[in-house]
Amino acid sequence: MTAHSIFRETLRRLARNPLAMAGGAVILFFFVLALFPSVFSGHDPNRIDILKILASPSESHPLGTDDLGRDVLARMVHGARISLSVGFVAESIAIGIGLVIGLLAGYYGGRVDSVLMRFVDIMLCFPTFFLILAVIAFIGPSIWNIMFIIGVTGWMGVARLVRAETLSLKERDFISAARAQGAGTGRIMFRHILPNTLAPILVAATLGVAGAILVESGLSFLGIGVQPPTPSWGNILTAGKDNIEFAWWLSLYPGLAIFLTVLGYNLLGEGIRDAVDPRLKGR
Amino acid sequence: MSRPLRPRAVLSALSVLVLLSACGGSGKEAPGKGTAASDAPAHGDAIIEGSIGDISGFLSAVTTDASSHEAAGYVFNGLVRYDKDLRLEGELAESWDISPDGKKITFRLRKGVTWHDGAPFTSDDVMFTYRRMIDPKTPTAYGEDFKQVKRASAPDPHTFVAEYARPFAPALASWGMHILPKHLLEKHPDISRSPLNKKPVGTGPFRFVEWKTGEKTVFDANPAYFEGKPYISRVVTRVIPDLATMFLELKSGGLDLMNLTPLQYTRQTETAEFRKSFNRFRYLSSGYTYLGFRLSHPFFKDSKVRQAIAHAVNKKEVIEGVFFGLGQEATGPYKPGTWPYNPNVKRYPHDPSKAKELLAEAGWKEKDGDGVLKKDGRRFEFTVLTNAGNENRAKTAAIIQQNLSAVGIKMEIRTVEWAAFINEFVKKRKFDALILGWNITPDPDQYDVWHSSKTGPDELNHIGYANAEVDRLLEEGRRTFDTGKRKKAYFRIQEILAEEQPIVFLCYPDSLPAVHKRFRGIVPAPAGISYNFIQWYVPKGEQKYTTFRQ
Repeated sequence: MTAHSIFRETLRRLARNPLAMAGGAVILFFFVLALFPSVFSGHDPNRIDILKILASPSESHPLGTDDLGRDVLARMVHGARISLSVGFVAESIAIGIGLVIGLLAGYYGGRVDSVLMRFVDIMLCFPTFFLILAVIAFIGPSIWNIMFIIGVTGWMGVARLVRAETLSLKERDFISAARAQGAGTGRIMFRHILPNTLAPILVAATLGVAGAILVESGLSFLGIGVQPPTPSWGNILTAGKDNIEFAWWLSLYPGLAIFLTVLGYNLLGEGIRDAVDPRLKGR
Repeated sequence: MSRPLRPRAVLSALSVLVLLSACGGSGKEAPGKGTAASDAPAHGDAIIEGSIGDISGFLSAVTTDASSHEAAGYVFNGLVRYDKDLRLEGELAESWDISPDGKKITFRLRKGVTWHDGAPFTSDDVMFTYRRMIDPKTPTAYGEDFKQVKRASAPDPHTFVAEYARPFAPALASWGMHILPKHLLEKHPDISRSPLNKKPVGTGPFRFVEWKTGEKTVFDANPAYFEGKPYISRVVTRVIPDLATMFLELKSGGLDLMNLTPLQYTRQTETAEFRKSFNRFRYLSSGYTYLGFRLSHPFFKDSKVRQAIAHAVNKKEVIEGVFFGLGQEATGPYKPGTWPYNPNVKRYPHDPSKAKELLAEAGWKEKDGDGVLKKDGRRFEFTVLTNAGNENRAKTAAIIQQNLSAVGIKMEIRTVEWAAFINEFVKKRKFDALILGWNITPDPDQYDVWHSSKTGPDELNHIGYANAEVDRLLEEGRRTFDTGKRKKAYFRIQEILAEEQPIVFLCYPDSLPAVHKRFRGIVPAPAGISYNFIQWYVPKGEQKYTTFRQ
């Protein structure tokens, strides 16, 4: 079977999983929001209107206004861009680091493996959220710093996955064949082993994005993530907390958006895992 | 805003300048309830207050934030204090005489006063405190007042004499400084590092019980207090670094006293249920919020730039949008309605086009159509700092940010936790601009904040303001007891500050404390509500906390 047909077979199985498709649809929906915010709301997300503070949802403000009279819908759709891209970029950084470390550890084995995996163990010892809090205290909060920190504290799972795959792949015949043909170490690692580890990475990445979005929301909610007035779902929720008794819309909608996005990524991730797992074949 | 937003009862008006973590203070809106027979004063019960920021120590000589000063106020006394009408009255001093030329004050101290550890209080303690205040090893922001003393003497254990080389108007008020116990501190050259800064022993109405950093401070009534044992047996101040959480705690019974935010006051406390359990008070607090600049910053050196920012900032929008109208536009560092306040200073109405004109005159011009002004290749971008947890300041910053972007200035906002904000940024001068509050003391002498010599790391002129005429007027104002002459000096200072705008004065917010209804004896006055804290009581039948774990 060619790689091409394996990919098609995987997609076909994925398409037959209604939960995964629903998750994918939710994510797609939020991506469309993030890409074309002005289509969904004509308001400027940072426009303060003190005459309309905490107005309930109405025709001109479908999701109401916040504690400075800013349109919540506009902030939600612009916040989608921030929240989704934080998830995406952070996870890309994590995968980049995880891939390299996993490949090196798995391929070279021995002492290299021991050193790298102990480093992974050390990183896993830190409670991630508190590590992030401590680092932000030093370098200061900004969108780029948040992406960076979530990335460099979240690669350990990927590294372990890649290492395990590499350990088994490097013993296969096609690697021996490549080596017999004179392929160098770099070529074997990146051209032959790496592509074969992508399926589990894709699963990990999808779930990882969900995690990163949650962490960003948490940090922004605590006021040390994305800094005002830039909207992110997390910091809209902060304003919601202060006014929850009489401005429910400020808490409900960003909360719902975070919930649905994370759920969507998780469903999609699990769907992909089922689709690429050969043990489920023929079910 | 004014005093720390701390919803913490203040025993007496603060006599020195402190930084405010939020607005608040003392005063009242609700009418006092009639006193029925069953309401008879009784000892017992505890009051639990909420505070947004932890204290940094108990020795008020070496702290500059309102939380710490108020905590110290439970444990320590000064020789004098402000009464309910903000007039000076004796505290540890029974009475005093001022010589006809105003240069010599003779205090007669109360007899029979003891420190919480049982040692007697004498004039030696006052002398010791004075010496420490002028000691260069003491990192205090308040030494200046005491350096004015030419000669101090303690002729007998109950008399203390301070002589001044020249008349010094704030002299009497300066003796509101908390008196320190000599017998416990004399072995510690730097009092800020002494154990007493963490476990204070004072003469005050309450004794220190415990301080759990970041969590709470606890005080118990001092049965031997010279004005009688306070009715309330225990005071607990809980640190809750978020005002919305604090409010939920108040409503669920975890707190008895907090300063409400304007939003809570206008929208969340109108319910019958809230009114059934709490009295609300409202009065102009003794403090103001400002947008301050580090004046050595190349952008802010030029007074035209600062005037432009003053015109660009829409103070009305701040007062309406953030304070829901519960405050007044600030024009200077004095409180409206008090004698030093000058109502006729230059004002800066919201006027973006005027602001742009002034910026253009200062050389700031839009060049490439990206909406940000430039000069000598630098974009007009800076970061404003304020303390976290105070939503009002964050919202104020958001409004100012929008106002400034309309004239081509890009302002980033960063919020930092209170202690780090003061210690890492304000004291180390690591800021471009900040949003912060000062309190307003009853005596108008603000030498420590505005004089050009007061710019050291532990001193209060952290913006680095220097103006020769203001320096001279500050000196003049403190050298005479003639209120007319002092008024003239302080009026002129306000004119200069208004003209130069070293800081943009934003707002005098109202204090909006809410106190549980079981507390009686609260009588609002110009000094607020907490001046008579030791007379607050809970009638026997309504007491909530009856047994205390020590």
